[in-house]
Amino acid sequence: MGHTYQAVQWNPQKKRYDQLVVGGVLLYLAVFMAVSAAVFPEATLETLLIRGLGTAALVLLHIILSIGPLARRDPRWLPLLYNRRHLGVTMATVAFLHGAFSTLQFHAFGDVNPIVSLFTSNTRVDSIAQFPFQPLGACALVIVVLMAATSHDFWLRNLSAPVWKALHMLVYVAYALILLHVALGSLQTESGTVTPAALGLGAVWLGALHLRAARAEGARDREEEVREAAAAEGWMDACGVDEIPEGRAKVVVAAGDRVAIFRSEGHLSALSSVCQHQNGPLGEGRVVDGLVVCPWHGFQYRPRCGTSPEPFDERVPTFRVRVEDGRVLLDPRPLPLGTETDPVPVSSAGSSPA
Amino acid sequence: MTTIEVLVALTGLYLAVGAVFSIPFALVGAGRIDPDARAATWGFRLLLLPGAALLWPILARRWATGAQPAEERTPHKCAARDRTGAEA
Ligand code: HEM
Ligand code: FES
Repeated sequence: MGHTYQAVQWNPQKKRYDQLVVGGVLLYLAVFMAVSAAVFPEATLETLLIRGLGTAALVLLHIILSIGPLARRDPRWLPLLYNRRHLGVTMATVAFLHGAFSTLQFHAFGDVNPIVSLFTSNTRVDSIAQFPFQPLGACALVIVVLMAATSHDFWLRNLSAPVWKALHMLVYVAYALILLHVALGSLQTESGTVTPAALGLGAVWLGALHLRAARAEGARDREEEVREAAAAEGWMDACGVDEIPEGRAKVVVAAGDRVAIFRSEGHLSALSSVCQHQNGPLGEGRVVDGLVVCPWHGFQYRPRCGTSPEPFDERVPTFRVRVEDGRVLLDPRPLPLGTETDPVPVSSAGSSPA
Repeated sequence: MTTIEVLVALTGLYLAVGAVFSIPFALVGAGRIDPDARAATWGFRLLLLPGAALLWPILARRWATGAQPAEERTPHKCAARDRTGAEA
């Protein structure tokens, strides 16, 4: 962030959020174990704890995977998105405890190394009903722990953005492994039909959410690409002036990515809508105290030059805009990083800053 | 030894090397590859340990070669940089 690193950038909301998350997990465990103990009186405390931790991790994973598409459609979800990392680290911790207790419970009492036993005690890969479901969970656990261990911004910067993003896309591989782990596991344990049924519902829910978000995005981009092609080299007609509310932006596609045209105190300015932090959608943010604020984690940019205020040193490219007959025109070529643009009054007619 | 036993032993060795590496990395190495980590807090350094133990080969290489954080290449940034080059 162009600033000395801290463990967590705490503030009162984040503290409250984390208290809620930890409290929620503990409450869930208590309720789950109490209900399960009533339904399965023969189950031991260890088994109940293992199941409680496993399903708690699964619930957290569903929340984590739902936040992105939900926040895109309704900004009221944004506070959850802001702190998605904290949920991820909580999920990895809970999943680790589940895996550790299971390994202790089922593999630590023989003469074989428990980890070796985890992978060798069952080799019935030819059978669905007897499939070794625990190694699937172990592979998923490696992924979620790796993600949690690299969730700080230090890793994003130093593993390089493409590597970090690829690593964190593995969450979908982990999700698939966990799906199999739980589905195949439920064939071998007497844990009832609730977990497999909830699992199916969860998969349908996540699939539908992601499909819908992708479709909405694809339609928007195609429309914009047509407009961009029409504009070719010259200025492109971006939108009507009155389509941009005060303090907000209109997003169009130019130069192969999204551009956000902001309106602030009666003036227009355009910058790349791609946040330098994690490519968050700047154009879905607002102008607060004269600065564009990214809706994902709150990085700030000056609308006229695309640079972050001191002591930060993020920069996103800016674009030239002008107003003609109530239409906003955009020069689709990004300006060199840090270029100061003249603010364009909303009411200007035909004046070009060039 | 079976294949699994060999793999588990190798993984254990990898993690042991990583655990040893993570300490000097959190104290010194992180600041070498990223200036922002030079004066970082103790909490941050503690947080680096698990990741460093898991990904030590990448970090060791960056530390040894004195690599610095790179700026991400997005289409807009590439286009903006091309223009800077063209106009300079
Ligand atoms: C080393 C890693 C893992 C091991 C050894 C392991 C082992 C097990 C075992 C033995 C069971 C059956 C428990 C029973 O019903 O008696 C189980 C169930 C389950 N596991 Fe894992 N697991 C691991 C990783 C994971 C991970 C990473 C997740 C998810 C985030 C997960 C989620 C679940 C769930 C949701 C259940 C079903 C609980 C139920 O039926 O109520 N497991 N696991
Ligand atoms: S993506 Fe994190 S602040 Fe913009």
